[in-house]
Amino acid sequence: MLGERSAPVIQRVRGTTDVLPPEDARLRRLESRLRDELERFGYQGMQTPIIEPLELFLRKSGDEIVARMYSFSHWNRRLCLRPEVTASVIRAYVDQLQGHGLPLRVQYSGPIFRYERPSRGRSRQFTVLGLELIGASGAAADAEVLHLACAGLEAVGITRYRLVVGHLGATLQLLGALGMTDHAQSLVLDQMEPIARGRVDLDAAIARVAGLLGADAGHANGAVSELPPGLASLPQDQATAIAADILSRASLPVEGGARQPSAIIQRLLARARRPDPTDQVRTAFEFVAALHAAAGPPERLQTDLRSVLEKHGLSTEPADEVLGALDLLRAYGPLGPEVEVEVDLSLARGLRYYTGLVFEIYADSNEGPLQLCGGGRYDDLARALGGREAVPACGFQYGLERLDLIAPRDDVGSRRRVLVAGVTSADHPSALSVARELRTLENLAVEQDVRLRGVRSALRYADRAGIDLVVIVGERERQEGAVVVRDLRRREETRVPLTGLVDAVRSAVA
Amino acid sequence: MSVLRIALPSKGWEEDTLGFLGQCGLRIDRSNPRQYRARMRGLPGGAAEVVFQRATDIFDEVNAGSVDLGITGYDIVAEHRSEEDEIVVVYGELGFRRCSLVVAVPEGWVDVTSVSDLAEVAVELRAAGRELRVATKYANLVRQFLFDRGITYFTLVEVSGAIEAAPALETADIICDITSSGVTLRENRLKPIVGGVVVESQACLIGNRRELQADPERLEATRGLLELMEAYLRSRQHVSITANIQGESAEDVARRVLASGGVAGLRGPTIARVFPQQPTEGSWFALTVVVGEDVLLRTVEALRRAGAGEVSATQVRYVFEHRSWTFEALKRQLGVASPEPRVSAPLPSA
Repeated sequence: MLGERSAPVIQRVRGTTDVLPPEDARLRRLESRLRDELERFGYQGMQTPIIEPLELFLRKSGDEIVARMYSFSHWNRRLCLRPEVTASVIRAYVDQLQGHGLPLRVQYSGPIFRYERPSRGRSRQFTVLGLELIGASGAAADAEVLHLACAGLEAVGITRYRLVVGHLGATLQLLGALGMTDHAQSLVLDQMEPIARGRVDLDAAIARVAGLLGADAGHANGAVSELPPGLASLPQDQATAIAADILSRASLPVEGGARQPSAIIQRLLARARRPDPTDQVRTAFEFVAALHAAAGPPERLQTDLRSVLEKHGLSTEPADEVLGALDLLRAYGPLGPEVEVEVDLSLARGLRYYTGLVFEIYADSNEGPLQLCGGGRYDDLARALGGREAVPACGFQYGLERLDLIAPRDDVGSRRRVLVAGVTSADHPSALSVARELRTLENLAVEQDVRLRGVRSALRYADRAGIDLVVIVGERERQEGAVVVRDLRRREETRVPLTGLVDAVRSAVA
Repeated sequence: MSVLRIALPSKGWEEDTLGFLGQCGLRIDRSNPRQYRARMRGLPGGAAEVVFQRATDIFDEVNAGSVDLGITGYDIVAEHRSEEDEIVVVYGELGFRRCSLVVAVPEGWVDVTSVSDLAEVAVELRAAGRELRVATKYANLVRQFLFDRGITYFTLVEVSGAIEAAPALETADIICDITSSGVTLRENRLKPIVGGVVVESQACLIGNRRELQADPERLEATRGLLELMEAYLRSRQHVSITANIQGESAEDVARRVLASGGVAGLRGPTIARVFPQQPTEGSWFALTVVVGEDVLLRTVEALRRAGAGEVSATQVRYVFEHRSWTFEALKRQLGVASPEPRVSAPLPSA
């Protein structure tokens, strides 16, 4: 018993939304149109769980995603709500579909979760709808994915958008040439987008990342100062032995619990050999900024973007790949007159597993550009998730709620609503059979009055609920084999013989 | 008449807390030191109820609304806060119980001096099929701290008892715990690392949003409490300077003092005529000014240039401004209407 006071209201979790009617129907129509479009290209639907092992996303999703995950421990198992779907699809591929003939075309839709500051167009739970093309590399595969991303938008009436295409290969080449560790590369890639967009100060970002890489920890701090400067250049065995000796004389016994003393000393020496990371980080960020400055229409791939790559002594293959994919994209058919295409090789996407072409699609909204879609090529993910061999793959995701903000609202495909009501409770059984007959019509939702409070009450409800048509079944009409049909929008009432009811309703809602 | 309820930390915190409150002019009355209930005198509207609890439990008590206010550590607040709690941080820096939540590694890890080294060790252990085990009581703060720094492979280990002992007992590789002097870390052969400060903490005053919103009387008593704390904490950065200066008139002294530079004070000096016991040549004036502690010596020099003889300086007990800024900030946080504070609110004589 709660007594007379009502129990306290329970608030929904911050950053989540209740999707109420009629919004839910609208979102489902949007979803089915998109999925139909993808299906026409042979993409079959699949589903993966919403909860996944935390480990799945630690492997390759990138620190930005990991830091924003809903993760928890349940009976000593570390789990999370999925922050994206691609890793789950590839996990399922590695687990169950490796024998499948390639390429494999799959599509999916469902909620994902990210702990971010909620704002318009950004909830902590939102719906992605996407596809993966697994087992195909090269411009032809990239172009199919690009084309489908555009075709889906057109299918839901979005014709005015900006497609930005990039390629991770440019930056990955440079980071490799600089000899940066995986950890360092991760930190740099995470900062690429804010750097390119000018959202963070270049020097501040360099200082932050270099700091995280130990630049200001200095070599004066800790035991390194105990070691003679030339030690690091000696052969490894010799250096290790000398270092161990010096450290024990300096009564700094190397004991690491779970770590082997030899591992500790070898890391110490390796670290002493490594250059200060600040210069590397600066080079990387300046390169990213230069790539962004050279961004623009695809023609620039032939000129400015190419020269940025050449100037750094890097292969121009990424530029050629983007060019090839864009040429093939046009061969699918001309892009709409309101579609803008831009090439920006500094595009990073915030996910760590991309290896090649990446892209994003934006639409204008009142609050500035809104990202509707993003995707790209990730050729290493299957291996990282335990696959037998590397499998080239690419894909993209739409944010469904964001498409709903931009797509033109229409009610094509929505059901018209009809209420069937008896005059008294004695008329209810006949009303049920009238309703059953009406449900044979397509695109009709037929509700039955079950409160049985009479015609006036039923009409009042119908009016408030936005019902189009009320069919009233009374005793007199029953005896005459007829019903009364009331059109609430046209404010008309007609007597219709039961034999002609289906036709009358069909034409009334048409 | 509703009474303000305050939770104060017991155990190791008690002495510092009572010392701080005493300095503010707030006295705690209890029949014997082992009592868990007491009364706090010195507030407008009568004594407040005090209950002593462990600092770690105070957050929950305030959040549940069984007390209106509580003093606890900022580290505890930062760890236990959620977006949907009822907690408001009423006074963030009470100036005592300062400490840091730090990451510390075994001294034997001579190759680890910074967070970036730790990131690499986490990867190294991972490659060996193990995970970096971190012993801590601050799971939320530590997880976010490590994630934000690109360290993703780690396990948080719950340890009952002394955190610092975990690496030696091999239940964890490293720890993240509160330290003020670093002595306990050194005694356990652990060392802090560069960039490893998760949070800087000190005692703070927190309140329950709902309870404070609901009751103007308890809110008014809170205002009294904040007035005293704020004025006391502000006074610690100020000194009152008195100097005797010879001159023709008060205006003449004022002109010379102001021209000498650096004698601004909170509002400018007060200058009054001195009436000496023995007749002297010319007139003497006493100048009084309240200045920030950081400019004490500069002010003394300026007064000397202006012809001051002896200069004395005393610590001020309270410095009140025309309103309590902390209370204004609290009202904004609570979203309560802003009636002008009653200027005549009875404050205890210091």
